[in-house]
Amino acid sequence: MSIYNPPAGWFKAPTGAERLWVGLALTWCIIMSLAMPYWHFYGKQNSTGESYRVSVADYGARVQQFVESNTVGTEQGVPIVEIAPGGDGYLLARMWAFYPIIKLKKGQTYRLHISSLDLQHGFSLQPLNMNFQVLPGYDHVLTITPTSSGIFSIICNEFCGIGHHSMTGRIIVED
Amino acid sequence: MATRDPNGKHPIQKLMDNPWLLLVLGIVIPTVSYTIWGWIELWLVPTATLP
Repeated sequence: MSIYNPPAGWFKAPTGAERLWVGLALTWCIIMSLAMPYWHFYGKQNSTGESYRVSVADYGARVQQFVESNTVGTEQGVPIVEIAPGGDGYLLARMWAFYPIIKLKKGQTYRLHISSLDLQHGFSLQPLNMNFQVLPGYDHVLTITPTSSGIFSIICNEFCGIGHHSMTGRIIVED
Repeated sequence: MATRDPNGKHPIQKLMDNPWLLLVLGIVIPTVSYTIWGWIELWLVPTATLP
């Protein structure tokens, strides 16, 4: 509320160029709003939002079981774990690493589970720049089909403490 | 398009001249669309089976 009331009839409906400008801005807002659901279904890059409630202990144990039964090698002491095509794989985020290294085959579809053991982290797949939140207590499932082979880096893009800058991981995609 | 009522006030002016209604709308809309919707989403998260 202002100290002095404006005079009665202060509102002037937009006319002419102002009305055109407001109309264009509103139209663009509507187009961009519709683009979000459109790109979700046709862009095939966004998460479907599939997530489940899980305890940190249960998730940690499942990752360990996954690593023990699917390890195909190691790199600098980190196990390289291959997911069976069409199967479920488990990636764990914790201060300050992603564990284990995931190995995939190009063109195959996988369900990659991601969760955290301690606090909130960010999963940022580079150089594709696909980004997802990683939360303790929630199992976020990404259904992924790699379309190119190579070594892809995962970096944490949610500040998680003094070792945040060193929190990286790796996904290897083979032909 | 909005038209003036017989008293000559444009509907948008009537809205803007009502600070208490604006206050209520400013609290109710974000509470429902952010907070309550968020609570419902969290409440509906199923338990993981970890296949």
